[in-house]
Amino acid sequence: MAKIEPGMEAMLDMYFFETNSLLEQLDEILLRTEQANAFESDDIKEIFRIMHTIKGSSAMMGFDNLSVLAHKAEDMFFVIRENPDVITDVSFVYDLVFQVSDSYKAQIEAIQNNIGGEYEQMDFDELTSKLIKARDKLNSEASGDAAPADTEAASAASSTAPAAAGGSDKISVRVFFEEGCQMENLRAFLLINTIREECSFLEFSPADVETNAESSKEIVDHGFLITFSANDDRDYILKQIETALNVQSYEVVSGDEAKPAGTEAAAPKAEIPPEPVKEIKTEKTSPAPKAPEKSKPTDQSIEKAQAAVANANAQQAASGGAQKQSLISVNLAKLDALHDIVGEIITTESMVISNPDLEGLELESFTKAARDLKKLTSELQDTVMSIRMVPLAGVFQKMNRIVRDMRKKLNKDVEFVMEGEDIEADKSIVDSLQDPIMHLVRNCMDHGIEDDVQDRIYAGKPEKGTLRLSAQNSSGEVIITISDDGAGIDPDKIMDKAKRMNLLTKPESEYSEKEIQNLILLPGFSTNEQVTEFSGRGVGMDVVKANVEKCNGTIIVDSKKGVGTNFIIKIPLTLAIIDGMEITVGDLVFTVPISTIHESFKVEPEQILRDTSGNEMIMIRGVCYPILRMHEKFGIDTEITDLQDGILLLVESNNKSVCIFADKLIGEQQVVVKPFPKYLSRYNIKSEGLSGCTIMGDGSISLIIDTNTLIG
Amino acid sequence: MTNDVIKEAVAKQQSGDRKLAADNSILGKVMTFNIGEQVYGIEIQYITEIIGVSHITKVPHVPNYIKGIINVRSKVVPIIDIRIRFGKPEIPYTNHTCIITLDFNDIAVGIIVDSVADVEDIHTGDISAAPENKNVNTNDFIQYMIRGENDTTKLILDVAKLLDEQEA
Repeated sequence: MAKIEPGMEAMLDMYFFETNSLLEQLDEILLRTEQANAFESDDIKEIFRIMHTIKGSSAMMGFDNLSVLAHKAEDMFFVIRENPDVITDVSFVYDLVFQVSDSYKAQIEAIQNNIGGEYEQMDFDELTSKLIKARDKLNSEASGDAAPADTEAASAASSTAPAAAGGSDKISVRVFFEEGCQMENLRAFLLINTIREECSFLEFSPADVETNAESSKEIVDHGFLITFSANDDRDYILKQIETALNVQSYEVVSGDEAKPAGTEAAAPKAEIPPEPVKEIKTEKTSPAPKAPEKSKPTDQSIEKAQAAVANANAQQAASGGAQKQSLISVNLAKLDALHDIVGEIITTESMVISNPDLEGLELESFTKAARDLKKLTSELQDTVMSIRMVPLAGVFQKMNRIVRDMRKKLNKDVEFVMEGEDIEADKSIVDSLQDPIMHLVRNCMDHGIEDDVQDRIYAGKPEKGTLRLSAQNSSGEVIITISDDGAGIDPDKIMDKAKRMNLLTKPESEYSEKEIQNLILLPGFSTNEQVTEFSGRGVGMDVVKANVEKCNGTIIVDSKKGVGTNFIIKIPLTLAIIDGMEITVGDLVFTVPISTIHESFKVEPEQILRDTSGNEMIMIRGVCYPILRMHEKFGIDTEITDLQDGILLLVESNNKSVCIFADKLIGEQQVVVKPFPKYLSRYNIKSEGLSGCTIMGDGSISLIIDTNTLIG
Repeated sequence: MTNDVIKEAVAKQQSGDRKLAADNSILGKVMTFNIGEQVYGIEIQYITEIIGVSHITKVPHVPNYIKGIINVRSKVVPIIDIRIRFGKPEIPYTNHTCIITLDFNDIAVGIIVDSVADVEDIHTGDISAAPENKNVNTNDFIQYMIRGENDTTKLILDVAKLLDEQEA
């Protein structure tokens, strides 16, 4: 067990954010390059940089095991990088690096879950020894094929050559870090590592930054002196120094006069030359992009993290500078608060505009002003909604990784196709969809695609299976489809199993094929005889269903034996605001989501049918629907109990329909969904047909009908 | 106020030490209110506000003492009728009837009381422990009592128990 070093807590958030996004980047690169079984030199550089940063920041935070792990992985890539032409087979590297990335994620999660307390320090010895072995293997391969010189010498040779070509003199730079950024020595070390690969000659002072924490003080007082000569492009290195994390400013203390009058000459002169060394040129580090960061004292850790990411981008793309300004990370809680306020503004607005005091008055200019206000608030609402929208790509990308792992483990040849990953949905919805989608993808891989390729060939299907994950927008809903071209669901098998498990609620013969397929969504249902690492414990499909329904979505199974299986998830774009139809029952007002209403109508007594136990039903266009009296269901006193006095609403949910009987319709309204107060959560309200409540224009409360549980 | 503080206060009164027994420092404040003839109190740190009774929206499938939910400045708050909760007869709401909204560990509720009386200090010397009663129902919600003038007693409610007990 270990504890987080005191004083480090403040930086944890930034560390998690940074490391996680770097790991995701790493996964992405690996997945992209694995197909080709070769690294582009840019990719290797990128991986190297990621490992470096992780190593440095982990060491800074005191997570030694993580730092060592990254170090070993870095060593391995060092060999690969230095011998790009020699090492051809790198396939075993992928698994290793994926393992490293997984270990990282696991450890970080463990730490995250125990902030302030003790966390378990994972043991990576096995993995590190594997990494060392891999490095040695690569090393021997490299030195075997290449000149008898060792790798170090080879690298030195290879890097001096372009240096000579580039023609560069030594240049010394004194770097100053931001005040109070802490751990200056490690930051300096990181900086050195960033530029090392571009330099043919590199010296720095103090020289013991990696090991000696005392050197921080010297760096703070006198700056960090780097002397280097560039491989080819000195400006590039200067730029890297300039954009590095936490670098406040740097000054060139010696070197060339013949420098082209490019950026530096144009840049504004320095404001703070901290020590008047034999200064030739100074310049303020970052021109525009960093300025706002300094001036804004709010939420520093997040901004810093943002800067770190922007930094990463800056090194990837030339346009990095611009990205710093155009993106900002915001705490989700703040967005939620903003969202709540907008909801309240909309409610208050309708309180004002449809205020009973105004009734019957001719208010021309008021109406005009009210109309303008309404337009603005709806724009405000749209904007806030769009802020919370994030693309599904994040979730989809993760599936890529899962498919890759399973493809190897199960030895199934499967092509993974993603479509529509740029479609956006509310952040909270996207987050809650990750588990269900992951589960379904696993199921498709494990159960869907045939175990034996021969089976596929006999069935006339291509040897390579296809797993498709697609998203599309349709009228306020996102439809996510996960489909495979595998064996499909065998209805007979399902029926057998369901019978054995006593899950049937009506005679067997009454089940349609669609209904049988959807039986697999019931709790405790798993037809896979063999419980595997990936699926088949019976928990799962019902959890998937519950998760999807939690965000007001639905899931449908559509499968054909021998052809394949489709899981179709439909979810609303946002949770919080729905179009509702207001109905009254007694003195209560209910809101029925408009999306579930098919029609509303008056009935004549002769249209009503009764079954043997006296349940009322109604025949509409040849289909018989049960009638649900709201006043009976919720125990409300009302004068309207004759069906012909009130109104019927035909609502549908989950392929089931029912006519609900209410006193009268009030009208359509956009409502902000509010959950029931915490105190009431112990009571069984939610499973009895109510999903929440909303505050109406006059300040009173209306209960929102959950058609799903109302029918079920 | 924690039970330890109450015990300590009671112990001080009963101790032989005159100096301790004479200690009459202020431990906090309570807001008192009437239900029928009896005066009850709730420590003020739990109270967020006092509002008049407005339209209460009924909620189905809850015990009868939960009258429903109301909208307090865009917050939805459930309302408990203390009379019904304590097994007293229900009476129609009057102009004096008030809703006191409480906040305990981020759980917000409002309670309906006949009328609000006063806010007063709690003196160490006035505290009495709640009677040990084997009959669980009656004194379940009383945390301690405060003796007032003319032999009156104010029953201070245990908010945690009032909100937290599980519905059987």
